[in-house]
Amino acid sequence: MSTFDRRYEQISRSELEQMQLERLQALLARLRRNVRRYREKLGDFRLQSLADLPRLPFTTQEDMVESFPYGMFAFPLREVIRLHSTLGPGGKPLVIGHTRNDLALWSRLVARQLSASGVTANDVILISLGGLTQSGAVGYVRGAELIEASVIAEDPLHIDYQLAMLQNYRPTTLITTPTNALDLIRAIEQRRVDPQSLYLRTVLLSRPVDRETREQIASGLFAAVRCNFGLGEILDPGLCVECEVGLFHIHEDQFLAEVCEGELVITTLAREAMPLLRYRTRVAAELCHDQCACGRTGVLFQPGPRLDHRHQVREISFYETQVAEVLAQTRAAGLRFHLTPSERQLQIALEISEDYFASAMWPADDPKRSIEAELLARLGLPAEVRYVEPRAGSGPAA
Amino acid sequence: MLLQVRNLSCGYGSLEVVHGASLHVCHGEIVGLLGANGAGKSSLLKAIIGLLPPWAGEVFIDRRPTTGQPPWRSVSNSTVLVPEGKMIFADMTVRENLIIGGYHNPDRIRHLETVLDGFPRLRERLQQVAGTLSGGEQQMLALGRALMARPRLLLLDEPSMGLAPLMVKEVFTSIRKMKDLGLTVLLIEQNANAALRIADRAYVMETGEIVLEGPAADLAHNPEVKRAYLGKG
Repeated sequence: MSTFDRRYEQISRSELEQMQLERLQALLARLRRNVRRYREKLGDFRLQSLADLPRLPFTTQEDMVESFPYGMFAFPLREVIRLHSTLGPGGKPLVIGHTRNDLALWSRLVARQLSASGVTANDVILISLGGLTQSGAVGYVRGAELIEASVIAEDPLHIDYQLAMLQNYRPTTLITTPTNALDLIRAIEQRRVDPQSLYLRTVLLSRPVDRETREQIASGLFAAVRCNFGLGEILDPGLCVECEVGLFHIHEDQFLAEVCEGELVITTLAREAMPLLRYRTRVAAELCHDQCACGRTGVLFQPGPRLDHRHQVREISFYETQVAEVLAQTRAAGLRFHLTPSERQLQIALEISEDYFASAMWPADDPKRSIEAELLARLGLPAEVRYVEPRAGSGPAA
Repeated sequence: MLLQVRNLSCGYGSLEVVHGASLHVCHGEIVGLLGANGAGKSSLLKAIIGLLPPWAGEVFIDRRPTTGQPPWRSVSNSTVLVPEGKMIFADMTVRENLIIGGYHNPDRIRHLETVLDGFPRLRERLQQVAGTLSGGEQQMLALGRALMARPRLLLLDEPSMGLAPLMVKEVFTSIRKMKDLGLTVLLIEQNANAALRIADRAYVMETGEIVLEGPAADLAHNPEVKRAYLGKG
């Protein structure tokens, strides 16, 4: 294991605080000059020390929605060479822009994670994140190229093809989602492949998992398991690094982290195209300034659950309102529903009364299948619809 | 950190020209401070060294607070300013100029040889009256005179000003050599191209505020820097 950017990953607290103060002051000056929304919010406030941070205004997802698409950009669009989209509140899209320097920085931050995971120039990396998390894959490719590891430039969606690639290309590192890793283990078991016959040394998961899942993946793929945590609006991957001890360190030379009312709040200190000041991430978190045995000095961070109605099924993120919108355009319109997201499927309980099928040609006209097909087609969500008796008082109506 | 500046403000009369600037320079670094004419770069430098009384803020050199101390004390703190426009003593010889630079250094005669090794052109003109040197040579003399004080931190104010392009190259090569000798340099420049080529990190100042900080290589690709200072884009 190694530290890619020792100068910044092990920076002393006093130097870090000086750097953060300088970067934050410069950021405020840039925001006042280049972003109208911040100019109005900031007025002529001058920050004297990091202790003044709570006096600065927050940025919310609603600010980003109102400024959609390019209103938060600090540079004209012609200077922005990469656009990414991420899921905003209620399923509305948010646009994230990057300049050339932003992308170079992204590479360095991802390289820090890869190095901490033990990936070196001698490794071959297979990235299987699925088409829906393509922007993450781009980040991993950039980081891997920076440390000169070999990247297999294919993202096989089919599990058998993935297994074949693991056997044929002999990758030593697999970057994937927890769901896909578990699918792969199932396929390995079904096809009676010995996981030790693969060449994997490291599996880097796109999001944190509980200890049990981590151990299951480690033994199922016979490799060390590392996790990542990212946020599409900030960087995913690239916000933090999971060290050898298994703790997340935020890249504090680039991001100023706070926890306000239990919510993670991030300020991007050096991002050029779209800096965010005190961005409320809608993710619960705890920060801890204890010294870590790995030697990194970035603040320790424990992510918690989301604080909004955003769920995830098979790595597909969605909001309850998106499901409600789809249901409203099916024969479930007007019915009360309850969502139970699980790892593999979204369970939807529709409250119906006995006369619901009175006018229908039961069972040939059962709307369940069409509702499931609609959710799969429009949101990519595998769902299972059940009918339940009306419950007293709960559940929104489609 | 050899130099640490926090929220430094200064000005002239009732006019504030630097509005709470913060910067730092680590041991052995060359740090550029870029900006257009009138951005407040030289005023910031003068306030750091005590030539201009700071209105607010703090300066630490090697962790010791030096805010507002008289400029002569900076030399004892191993911090030397090479001012804009060279400010050599035009009526004195090159040798006399250099010896004056090492005034507080009892070992100055021996140290003169070391300095001259770095500036062979000055050695050839030791007895020449400084005012008769070319612009580039005068700048070399100003640098050499500063080195005579055995500084650890060198503050350079526009060393390339008024020099022919070839001379600029030579002066910047000398600055680069100073880093190799273990010196730490804070370099004010309008010639962003040249400064970013030798600096490790840089700050960009506009109308009294620092608006950008980062590794020099990154700043060279920053769209704003390219447009405003590098004449590209």
